[in-house]
Amino acid sequence: MAIRSAEKHSTLLALTSSALLLPAYQAARADAPPEFVELGVRYSKYEEDNTQGSKTFGGSSQRYDVDVAQFHLLAPVADNWAVAVDMQWEDMSGASPWFVGESLDGGSKVVMSGASIEDTRTEVSVTTRYYYERGNAGLNYVRSDEDDYDSNAVALDGSFNSADGMTTYSAAISYSDDNIEPTQGSVPTNTLKADKDISSVFLGVSRIVSKNAIVRFGLSYTYRDGFLTDPYKFYDKRPGERNEWAVNTGYRQYFPWPNGALQADYRYFDDDWGVASHTLNLAWHQNLGHSIQVIPFLRYYSQGEAQFFANIADLDKRYFADDYRLSSFGAVSAGLRVRYEMGNWAITAVGERYETDKNWGVYSGEESPALVDYWRYSFGLDYIFK
Amino acid sequence: MAVSHYDHRFRAMGGLCRLRFDCDGGAVARAVVVAVEAEVQRLEKKYSRYLPDSLTSQINAAAGSAPVAIDEETAGLLGFAQTLWQESGGLFDLTAGVLRRAWDFKSGQLPAQSNIDELLPRVGWHRVVWDRESIRLPLPGMEIDFGGCVKEYASDCAAAVLARNGIERGLVDLAGDMAVVGAGSVAEPWSVGISHPRRQGAAIAHISLTEGGLASSGDYERCVMIEGKRYGHILNPLTGWPVQGLVAVSLTARQCLVAGGSATIAMLKPEVEALAWLTELGLAWFAVDSTLTCHGELTTD
Amino acid sequence: MSTVKSLTYLIVMLCLCACETVQPWERGTLAKPEMQWQTDPMEISLQAQINASKEASSGGMGAAGGGCGCN
Repeated sequence: MAIRSAEKHSTLLALTSSALLLPAYQAARADAPPEFVELGVRYSKYEEDNTQGSKTFGGSSQRYDVDVAQFHLLAPVADNWAVAVDMQWEDMSGASPWFVGESLDGGSKVVMSGASIEDTRTEVSVTTRYYYERGNAGLNYVRSDEDDYDSNAVALDGSFNSADGMTTYSAAISYSDDNIEPTQGSVPTNTLKADKDISSVFLGVSRIVSKNAIVRFGLSYTYRDGFLTDPYKFYDKRPGERNEWAVNTGYRQYFPWPNGALQADYRYFDDDWGVASHTLNLAWHQNLGHSIQVIPFLRYYSQGEAQFFANIADLDKRYFADDYRLSSFGAVSAGLRVRYEMGNWAITAVGERYETDKNWGVYSGEESPALVDYWRYSFGLDYIFK
Repeated sequence: MAVSHYDHRFRAMGGLCRLRFDCDGGAVARAVVVAVEAEVQRLEKKYSRYLPDSLTSQINAAAGSAPVAIDEETAGLLGFAQTLWQESGGLFDLTAGVLRRAWDFKSGQLPAQSNIDELLPRVGWHRVVWDRESIRLPLPGMEIDFGGCVKEYASDCAAAVLARNGIERGLVDLAGDMAVVGAGSVAEPWSVGISHPRRQGAAIAHISLTEGGLASSGDYERCVMIEGKRYGHILNPLTGWPVQGLVAVSLTARQCLVAGGSATIAMLKPEVEALAWLTELGLAWFAVDSTLTCHGELTTD
Repeated sequence: MSTVKSLTYLIVMLCLCACETVQPWERGTLAKPEMQWQTDPMEISLQAQINASKEASSGGMGAAGGGCGCN
């Protein structure tokens, strides 16, 4: 057998590729069930700013306040399974926009629902997840209940790692069946009882870029069918169908010297109601020693108005809505999350401010007088049973 | 949870081994120490030619007769040894061990050429018959010795054990060959010393290791002066005589095994050729020649 | 829709670019909490719900899931 003499690059390449064939260098099992039971609780307070006096009939009005309690439990079961139970309780109260009318000076002003709305929502979600050699699959059921609305939803998701462990492919489908029975009393409603269902499919891929960075990409399609109109708004009539698409990309990179990581996510959304939007999320995760993480975060959002949106609804049109949520606007939110670990416990505190402004968006359209700003605070406790 | 630093020493692979790592739980740390020692001992029991029950001893005992069955791991190591043999122009040879029978370094005498000539026909990787299922040494008296790569492979295997147990910062040192698990910030690299070829316990240089493996090869322990000439213990398998090469070589690579194989090849070549080969290889390296002059850019001193 | 198509193409191309293989024992950094796609699931689920009820877009990184009473 002839013995070749080696060229410089091919020697190192030959040695490395030969070494990599050994089992010790094969990708370790990347997917494994959680090792320990985890428990978490959160309490959050959401407070909307009062409406602007100059944009509201009857002067500035209080808006929505929500108290939220969340509970999370994750537990390994047997060798290859995990179960997650998530519960949420929401207490909502306050006033919300009823309709937009034309004021004497020709501008648009919002009329708020006078009496205070009070509602409680309870949600329970259970997920069972199975871990196999190169991935995992989960089955999820969610039930949501409030005075005027209930929803049952199921979802199936799965992911699969490539042989070298560098790429992960994921997919998910979901279906939900919702029933609406608007509360009668404070405002007349557009329906007494109706339903809608939502089907959705998702495909995603995530890839290790280097030992410090990962990137992902996702595509989703959602179809809504049924009663999609807001039952509590006076001038509101929306199509009975909605097709939505979203393209999403994300990036995470760790920086060894400052011991922190950059998280960036971008989503582009488009539907057949004429709404399109850009969402950009940025966060910097800074580690201080081994116990503290400080995470400032920023979100930029810009949406374009639905085709049938108008502040002063044209009742001759087939569809119409004056709901600010279908108008064109930009929103910026900034916040800070702090997490402190002591032993098996961790405390988390979050503060966030969200503001909307027509001029911050990139899409054209009418400015709604009912754009919302809010503060949100959250406080949480986590425990891991090690 | 507060992270503690663990430092565990143990004997294995014919020398003093050291395991250092950061961990936030006493129970996990104990389990990790046990797992790492078990993995190193597993490889020692499997490949040591000094243990009569090892796979190496079984293969050597069957020389001249039937093939011996091997597993995926052994096939992988044989494949790596074959690559080293090809890339070194035949100098790295797993079958060269029998030549040491001709050399008695303690006697201070050179062997007769006839002694060497008797052994040479039993040396030669090209004579070995092997595939991914079995290996056969066709002539009685032939031997293979994994000593040239097992310690480095074991370092990588031990580092994999640390990684599998979620250890983010650790160093495994098996009598001078080491591998790190270094997810920690570059502000916390491992500072390791490269042994001085002539002064026991002293370091000739220090390097900062943040990832991969470091392997060293040196003949400082077993060379002898005969008739005014220095003879090392590294033998050229083509001639049967000691190589007039470097006195010590250290390399870093993403796998300690690759660093170790490269170090051995460098030690097998004549000095000038070795330095040229190391310069062209593409790995960070450090070498000491017979005049104790240092070469290479591995050191941070 | 064509914007969706162009973005899809661009991002898929970026993801498929050649990336050096990262060894299993080099993946420690990727296991850190700050390197996960979801660092704090309860926080993400709350933010997603608030945003979906105050804006016209929803979803993105998974199937849509259950509905909320926020027509």
